[in-house]
Amino acid sequence: MTDGGTPLGGSHARPDALAKVTGQTRYVGDIALPGMLHAAVAAADVSSARVGSVDTSRALEIPGVEAVMTAQDVPGANLIGVIFPDQPLLVEDRVRMVGDRFAVVAARSPEAAWRSATAVSAQLEPLAGVHDPVEALKAGADAVHDSGNLVHTFRVERGDIKKAEARATVVVEAEYRIGGQEHAYLEPQACLAIPEAGRVTVLASCQCPFYIQQGVARVLGLPLSAVRVEQAPTGGAFGGKEDYPSEPAACAALLAWRTRRPVRLLYPREHDLQATTKRHAMRVHHRWGADRAGRLRFAEVDVLLDAGAYAGLSTVVAERANASAIGPYDVAAVRVRTRVAYTNNLFGGAFRGFGAPQVTWAHEATMDRLARELGLHPVELRRRNVLGERRRVTSTGQRLPAPVMAKACLEKAVAASSAGQPARALPPGRWLHGTGTALVLYGCNLHHGGQHLDRSSAVVILQADGSAVVRVGLTEMGQGNLVAAQTVAATALGIDPVKVEVWQPDTTTVADSGPTVASRGAHASGLAILEAVRRLRRRLDPVAAELLGCEPSQVMLGGDAARVFGEPEQTIAMEQVVQEMVRRRIETIATGWYRSRRRRFDPATGLGSPYEFYAMACHVARVAVDPDLGLVRVEHVAAAHDVGKVLHRDALEGQIQGGIVQAMGWALTEELKLSRGRLLNPGFTDYLIPTSDDAPAISIALLEDAPGSGPFGSKGIGEPSFIPTAAAIRNAVCDAIGAEVDRLPLTPPVIVEAVAARHPFSFLLP
Amino acid sequence: MARDRNRTDKPGKGVTRRGFLGTVGAGAVAAVTGLPRPGEAVPEITEPKGMVETALSINGRMHRLLVEPRWTLLFVLREQMGITGTKIGCARGECGACTVLMDGSPRYACMTLALEAQGHEITTVEGLMDGEELGDVQQAFVEEDAFQCGYCTAGQVVAAQGLLAANPSPTVDEIRAGMAGNLCRCGAYVHIFRAVERAAKGRGKGGGR
Repeated sequence: MTDGGTPLGGSHARPDALAKVTGQTRYVGDIALPGMLHAAVAAADVSSARVGSVDTSRALEIPGVEAVMTAQDVPGANLIGVIFPDQPLLVEDRVRMVGDRFAVVAARSPEAAWRSATAVSAQLEPLAGVHDPVEALKAGADAVHDSGNLVHTFRVERGDIKKAEARATVVVEAEYRIGGQEHAYLEPQACLAIPEAGRVTVLASCQCPFYIQQGVARVLGLPLSAVRVEQAPTGGAFGGKEDYPSEPAACAALLAWRTRRPVRLLYPREHDLQATTKRHAMRVHHRWGADRAGRLRFAEVDVLLDAGAYAGLSTVVAERANASAIGPYDVAAVRVRTRVAYTNNLFGGAFRGFGAPQVTWAHEATMDRLARELGLHPVELRRRNVLGERRRVTSTGQRLPAPVMAKACLEKAVAASSAGQPARALPPGRWLHGTGTALVLYGCNLHHGGQHLDRSSAVVILQADGSAVVRVGLTEMGQGNLVAAQTVAATALGIDPVKVEVWQPDTTTVADSGPTVASRGAHASGLAILEAVRRLRRRLDPVAAELLGCEPSQVMLGGDAARVFGEPEQTIAMEQVVQEMVRRRIETIATGWYRSRRRRFDPATGLGSPYEFYAMACHVARVAVDPDLGLVRVEHVAAAHDVGKVLHRDALEGQIQGGIVQAMGWALTEELKLSRGRLLNPGFTDYLIPTSDDAPAISIALLEDAPGSGPFGSKGIGEPSFIPTAAAIRNAVCDAIGAEVDRLPLTPPVIVEAVAARHPFSFLLP
Repeated sequence: MARDRNRTDKPGKGVTRRGFLGTVGAGAVAAVTGLPRPGEAVPEITEPKGMVETALSINGRMHRLLVEPRWTLLFVLREQMGITGTKIGCARGECGACTVLMDGSPRYACMTLALEAQGHEITTVEGLMDGEELGDVQQAFVEEDAFQCGYCTAGQVVAAQGLLAANPSPTVDEIRAGMAGNLCRCGAYVHIFRAVERAAKGRGKGGGR
C-alpha cells in the first residue's frame, strides 16, 4: 500500500498472476466441449485472381468432416470490415490477397479439418495484381476494388510554406521506406462458437468483443442481442486482435450455426503469420527547413500507406499518422499529406502505435539529418525546437496546457542514458558505438474521427462480505487492464485490492465500450468505474453515516472501512455497511459511464484538436555496430515518460520495457519478406523477434508533473512506450557508422550496404 | 532467434530439431500446415497403424495410455490427458511455449514424441506446485511481475526451473542465455531476469525445492 494507504502507484501482485504462473489460465485452446468440432480455413495462396468456381466435393469426402461452407452458404451479409465493408468473409468472384478464404470447414479433429481445407479447390484466373503502393496510384494500375486504389487522403495545412521557406537556410529532403511488422502474439488467433437455437455465444481471444459481436451478427443475420461475445484470456494482441478476430469468429459462428455444435477455430502459427493483418509499410517523404539558429521553419511531409487488399482500419491508422507526422516540435508552416492505397499485399491493421511509429521514425531521422547539416548536436537541435513552456502549440494548432513535458523528458532521458550501463559485455570484434535520441508527442485515446467510439461502461457490485465484483468493457491482453481496473476500484472503494475481482468483458454484462486500443484501457475503464462508485456511494454513504452517527457528506472510505472525516478513530467495517444495505434491500449494484470530452477539429485542414490530451516521451538508445557484419547490439535504452500518474508501477514499467523490446525487433530484425503479396518467412526461424538474449538494459524515468484526464490524472502508456524506440535506434546506428540509413528494418545487409556507400558527414560532432 | 532447446551432444539419446524434422517431419507437420494450395493433390492420409501402449511418468504419477507413435508429447499432454498448462505457440520448436522438463532438463514438448518420453520423468508447469503452495520459481514470477499476457509464462517458469537445476546461481548473462529458448512477445524479459535471480537467491538461502 502506498499513496496514503491506497494501492495507487504500488506494485501489488496482478489479479491474474496466480493462474498464469500455474498454467491454470484457460485460453480458448484449453477449453473443449462435448461434441465440439474443429474449424479450418481454405485460403488462397495467390494474391490476385478471378474466381470461376469453388469445388468442395473432395473436401467433403475427408473422414470426419461435418460441414464445408462457401460464400453462398452465408445466411446474413457476406461482409466484414470495421470501417468500410469492402471485404467478403468468404471469396465470391475475386481473390485480392493471399489468405482470402474460399471455404471454411468443420470436422471432428483439427487434423481432418485442415486436411479437408487443403482439398478445397478453386478455379482461378490469375491476375497480375499490384504490389507496390506507388504503382497502385499510377494511372492504369490494376484496380484492387472497383472504387479505385486511392482509399483516402488526409491533410494538415498550417501557415505559409513559401514565406517560411524563404527564412530557412538549411533544407533537407529524404525518402524513407519503412517496413511493416507482424504482431507475433504468442497465442495465435483463437475462438469458440457455441450455438443455441436462435442465438450464439462466442468466446474469443480478442481486444474488441463488441467488434466481434457486430461482425457475427451481420454474417449470421441476427440481432446484436442474440450474439454474446465473451473475451477469453488473451495471449497477447498488440493490435493484432483488434479488428482481425471478427473474421475467425464469424467463420466459427457460421459453422456452429450450420452444424448446431460448438466449433473451435485455432490458427496454426504459419496460417496466423500468413493471413492476418500487419503493421503498415509506409513511404514517407520529407522536406524540412531550419534557419541558421537551428529553428525549424517549415516541414513538408508526404506519407503513403500500403493498406493491402482491404481497407480494414487503414484510414484510421492514416489519420493518426497524419496528426503525428511533425512530432513534438514547434513549426510555424506545416504541410502534411497522408494517402492510403490499396494493393494486393497482406492488409494492414492495428498495431501498437497505430501509424505513429512510422512517421515518428521519419521525423526523428530528419531531425538528426538537419542537426548534421547545421553542425549542431542532435540533442541541441531538439532543445531549440521542442514544445515547452513558451511554445505550446502543436503542428495542428492545438494549444497544450502547461506544463508541457517534452523537454523535461528529453533532459531526463539524455541524463539517464549517460549514466546507464550496457546489459552485457560485447564479444570480440570491431564495434562502433553510437547514441540516438527520439521524442514522441502521443495523442492519448481516440482521434477526433473516432470520437463516437470513445465511451465505456462499467458495473460495480458490492458483495455482502465487503468484496466487490467489477465488470468493464475493456479487455486484458497482458497490458494490465485487470490490475489497473482493480487498483482504481479498490482505491475508490477504500478496500484491499484482493477484495476486488475484475471479470473479463462480456457483451451481455456491459454496454458497448468501444475497442481496447489507443492506450485507452485504464483510462476508459477507470473513469467508468469511478462513476459507478460515485453512484454507489449515493446509496452507501447515508447508510454508513447512520451507522457512524455522522452526516453522509462526512463519510470517507479507506482501509476496508467507512470512516468519519476528521475523526480517524470512528470507523465501521465495509462488510457491515454492505450487510446493512442488503438488510434494507438497498441496491448494491451500480453502472458507470465514461465519454470523452467534445473537441473542435477540421478534417479538411487537419487543424484543431485531434486528441483530447497528449503524453510525451523520449527514448535514448546506445548501440554497438559491427560494420563488417552489419550486426547491431542495442546496449541500453533510457526512457523518460510523461505518465500523468502511476496507477500500478510494475505494470507500467512492464509496458515500457515490453514496448522497447518489441520496437527493437521492428527496428532491426523483423522483416516481412513479401513476394507478390505472399509472406516468404512465416515462422519464427526466419521472422526474428527478440529473445531474452537480445533485450537491452533499460532505465526508466517516470514524470508525474502533468496530469492527464484519466483516473487520478493518469495517461495511457501502451503505445508511447513503443513509438520512439525504433527511431532512437536508427539514429544511434547512423551515429555509429557515420551514414544515413533510410530504410527500416536495419538488417545486416542494409547496414553493410550503408557502410560501403557512406560518404562521411560534413564533420563529426562533439 | 529461439535457441535450439533440444540439441544434445550425446548421439543416440534424444533428437536434434533438425534431425527430427528430417525423419518424422513430413507426417507430423502436415497436420498443421498453413495455407493449402487449391487444386494441389490431397496429401495421403496415413491411417494409424495402431496404437502403442506406453507408460509416461508425468508430474510424479505414472500414466498408462495408448498413443500413436507419431504423436508428440505436447499433443498427448494436452489433447489426450487434459494437462493444458503447457501451451502451443508454434508447434515446430521455435517459441518455447511448450517447454517441459525431461529428467529435470528443459525440452520442447512439440518436438518430442510421446514415445521418447517413456522411461523419463516429465514435469510440466502443473508439477511445479508444492502441494497447494506455489513453487519458488512460480512465486518469484508473481513477485517480480514477470509476465504480461501469460501465454509463454508456463514455458518460461519451467525453463527457469530447468536452468536453476543445472546452474543454481547463474549470472545475469547466464540467465539471458539460458532463457533465450523461450520467446516472450510482451517483452517481459527484464522482469523475468529478476524473477530468476530472486528464485536463485532464495535457494541460496536454503529456500526453494
